[in-house]
Amino acid sequence: MKRLSFFLSATLALAGSLHAQSLPGDSVYHLQATTQDAGSRPVAWSSLRGQPRVVSMFYTNCHLMCPLIIENAKSVQKQLAPRERAKLGMVMVSLDPARDTPAALQEVARRHRVPEGWQFLAPAGNDVRAIASVLDVRYRFRDDGSINHTSMLVLLDADGRVRARSEVTGAAADPAFLIQVKAVLAEP
Amino acid sequence: MKRTLPSTASLFLLAMASALAIAGDAGNGYRHVEGGDFRSSVRFEETTRVVRVASFSLMARPVSNHEFAGFVARQSQWRRDRIPTVFASPGYLGHWASADAPGDGVDPDAPAVHVNWYAADAYCREQQARLPRFVEWEYAAAADATRRDARGDPRWRMRQVNDGTPHAIDAAPDTPANAYGIQGLHGAYWEWSEDYASLLGDGDRRGQQDGDSLRYCGATALAFNDPGDYGVVKRFVLLSALQPGATLGNLGFRCARSTP
Repeated sequence: MKRLSFFLSATLALAGSLHAQSLPGDSVYHLQATTQDAGSRPVAWSSLRGQPRVVSMFYTNCHLMCPLIIENAKSVQKQLAPRERAKLGMVMVSLDPARDTPAALQEVARRHRVPEGWQFLAPAGNDVRAIASVLDVRYRFRDDGSINHTSMLVLLDADGRVRARSEVTGAAADPAFLIQVKAVLAEP
Repeated sequence: MKRTLPSTASLFLLAMASALAIAGDAGNGYRHVEGGDFRSSVRFEETTRVVRVASFSLMARPVSNHEFAGFVARQSQWRRDRIPTVFASPGYLGHWASADAPGDGVDPDAPAVHVNWYAADAYCREQQARLPRFVEWEYAAAADATRRDARGDPRWRMRQVNDGTPHAIDAAPDTPANAYGIQGLHGAYWEWSEDYASLLGDGDRRGQQDGDSLRYCGATALAFNDPGDYGVVKRFVLLSALQPGATLGNLGFRCARSTP
């Protein structure tokens, strides 16, 4: 009897984890969050799995750090070989989905002349904090509508494990971060 | 004239049914908190000291062990033996006797503690609710049994002294609810807020040559509006120091809902 119930609960546990398809425990894609891209298409947070990505959080009404974040991420991408570049996803996630409409996201992508293939995502309003939490991005809305936030590029491997972080302090890529990006891209 | 009553009535019944479906919520209803202008104790770099707090509702008591056990049973990915490590710290529900039950050694009615932010957030989502923002907690906690803002009263200030410990004045079981009908806001337990990660830095570090310059975009000095508010600020600083996966033996949570 005891053995049977052990067997049953083991089976149940297996069934419960099957849908996760052996997602590592420390993957940020365990988070059930929904986003919308600049083309108004829904993008599940967990669907970003499958490719290494550089992810950052920003907002379009930001005139101080966010342009630097985007330029810094462009600088990372620019220093990769074409084969590496094709393997690495670039994702900018909005901290301010109420104002960052698809049109606003398109506009910021155009203004910064970001290369093809970048994703600009606006999370559902109640998913912003959780995404920021798994990325360890801290933020706070100010009275004037601006946002205090940590400026960070986060390197996720294909399974969504945080592999490196780079604090954005200027437009140029951090060489140490770049080495880590190349290392993750070199993995099979 | 077309009668709309039947459809209204069926909508009402549907609403009732879904309200009943939210198990574990019985007896821990939401209390309405009328919004207003509020002098927060936490002052950032903004010059305005008064913030507008919109009306909201807040659970009368923190979520209990019993209520949280119901949630864990319904959503087993939040059991301590199944929770993904990305959300958890080793202490998550560590005081429970087993992965699915608090056990005899834990008071079922006591606030659920050793719960991380992600699990608290998930619990509130299941309630079609959310965690309260810090200023909402602060606004509701400014009340005493009869007044909505009793902070000028030295007796109210005394309540903060041992706030978050078993010696807190409001930890006594016979403490009356506050003017909104809400209990335990200054009790033995601190509580998560939605915006726990709002305090970015301890000062404006831009321009300093410490290698950390520009780490915090626009983060400048945090100050108290009144040194007598230290109890509130202490709580705010504690929450801001936490990682979302962290748990504490005196940190629980309750849920809030925006008023449509």
